[in-house]
Amino acid sequence: MACVLFSRPEHDGTLAYLYYYSKELVKLSTDLGHKTINKEKEDANKKTITSIIKQHKPNLIMLNGHGAPHQVCGHKNETIISSEENPEILANSVTYSLSCSSAVILGPEVVKNGTGSFIGYKFDFALGKDPNSEAVPAKDKIAKFFLEPSNLLFSSLLEGKTVNNSIIKAKKMMRDNIWFLSTTDKFPEASHYAPFLFGNYSGLVALGNQSAVITNS
Amino acid sequence: MTKGNNKNLEELKKEIVLERLRQAPLNIKVSFGNLDGNFLNRDELIGEVKKDTEIGKKIVEIQIEYLRSFKKGLLMGE
Repeated sequence: MACVLFSRPEHDGTLAYLYYYSKELVKLSTDLGHKTINKEKEDANKKTITSIIKQHKPNLIMLNGHGAPHQVCGHKNETIISSEENPEILANSVTYSLSCSSAVILGPEVVKNGTGSFIGYKFDFALGKDPNSEAVPAKDKIAKFFLEPSNLLFSSLLEGKTVNNSIIKAKKMMRDNIWFLSTTDKFPEASHYAPFLFGNYSGLVALGNQSAVITNS
Repeated sequence: MTKGNNKNLEELKKEIVLERLRQAPLNIKVSFGNLDGNFLNRDELIGEVKKDTEIGKKIVEIQIEYLRSFKKGLLMGE
């Protein structure tokens, strides 16, 4: 049985979207029979997340949160993992950091001395929102173009595909979505979101072991 | 390329991006690199670019790369 850890803060408008979209990944992980540890809202804090990583050594980790080149954060923007303090605790896991630019410095530090992989973004992660959705993610016809490729990536990892295969599938969906947003006449504002999704597309990278899969331990 | 030419090129990129952003509806909403998690509307995006903030510089970079991607054919024929 593989062990999967989710860190899902929800304390602002952007993170509420990531929280909502990752709910189905928690369910999928459970349905697939993985040992699923979901820490959300105030439980997505440094003490809780790092102690779970040290104790359970998860095969796969999803870290939602704000980020920077050297770190990824949790609830109320508390730093959970930073390149200066504790990158080694992720070294042998497959980690997906759904945050801004953490693949610039933190990612290379994580994979330097391990067999795992760090998937993240070299640029700021952009999220477009439908102004008519009243900030209800389920009603949002724009956010899905940004977050469904991210979910495809992680669900592919949950289903046992390699890191490389999962990245290829997610990038294909991103390209399709960028093309759709760039060319559709179904809603006039669509083309203005496309460059931001392109930033996510070009910034998404996998560092370390490209052949890594969730193995049964 | 001289320093002056580089500056002109950067200004030109910024003007292209500002003009593209001005074409967008006022109420587009984008979250992009801001730690407070707020979504920026068109005028706020324009303000970031005009003021050369870190976010503004990144907006220029991705908008220009997006336009270049068409020249490279990255998004076509998929």
